[in-house]
Amino acid sequence: MFPRTPALFGLMALTAGLWIAPGAPAMAQDHPIPQALRIEQKETLEQLTALAARPAPVGPAAKDALALLQKHYAREREFILPPLTLLPQLADGKVTPDMAWALPMTERVRAEREQIFDEHAEATEALNALLTAAVEANDNDAKEFAESAAGDSLTDLEILEPTILMIGDALRAKLPAAH
Amino acid sequence: MTVRHARVAFASLTAAALGSFLMPGSAVAGDPVAGKAVFQSNCVVCHANRAGDNKVGPTLWGVVGRKTGSVPEYTYSPANLGANITWTDAELDAYLAAPRAVIPGTKMAYAGVKDPTKRADLIAYLDTLK
Repeated sequence: MFPRTPALFGLMALTAGLWIAPGAPAMAQDHPIPQALRIEQKETLEQLTALAARPAPVGPAAKDALALLQKHYAREREFILPPLTLLPQLADGKVTPDMAWALPMTERVRAEREQIFDEHAEATEALNALLTAAVEANDNDAKEFAESAAGDSLTDLEILEPTILMIGDALRAKLPAAH
Repeated sequence: MTVRHARVAFASLTAAALGSFLMPGSAVAGDPVAGKAVFQSNCVVCHANRAGDNKVGPTLWGVVGRKTGSVPEYTYSPANLGANITWTDAELDAYLAAPRAVIPGTKMAYAGVKDPTKRADLIAYLDTLK
């Protein structure tokens, strides 16, 4: 049954808005991230979770890194990475009004660049600590993980973040002015 | 004085003042043996200490005395390429204290070595990489 009175309709709309995205109406809908990055995040967290179960010094160092990465990945899934799903269409020269959802995300990435960079710096510190622990424990898995994860962080800064900002620029330039 | 030079001067002055306040004389001569430990716990995930071995960051072999953006086979950020800094001990001290204050836009995702003694030790170690 649909609401019949304006007041009830308004209340339901407001409730729905709050339910979908408390405090972040610009990102009211959930959007996926590219599957390749979903797999990468999943594998990274699995590896780190396994390392976190190891005894000291590797385990505690891995736990610290895991906590940081979980927090960062949540932000990546929330607004940093979803615009990348538009790349195949943009590469084909297609820009359609239904892509407008990505604009608030790219704008947030631009606004929070320093914060995102600081998160990477914190991750570097945690990975340095993990690598130090790995060397101390002669743990090659942890050593390889730390060096590989540092490389992933550079990929984010060198490639993904600039690409996301360029997606925003492309959308802003080509979408109708209403967006 | 350019903005960068002003930042370097300010960072150097601040680092020197903090060093004098926190650990008198510590910024003058670092201990390269202690510095190797600082390198291993702060830098090695991204930097190698061997010639020609570029990882996430460029090799630190020969870093003292070389210009920013000059290591072959390493892709620098535009910020580092355009920084035009020669890595003296003083420049390294300022940079290692607060990398983004000295080279805004650097892709080195590292908050810096805040302890002036550790920084002096690290620089003393980097001085040996030649």
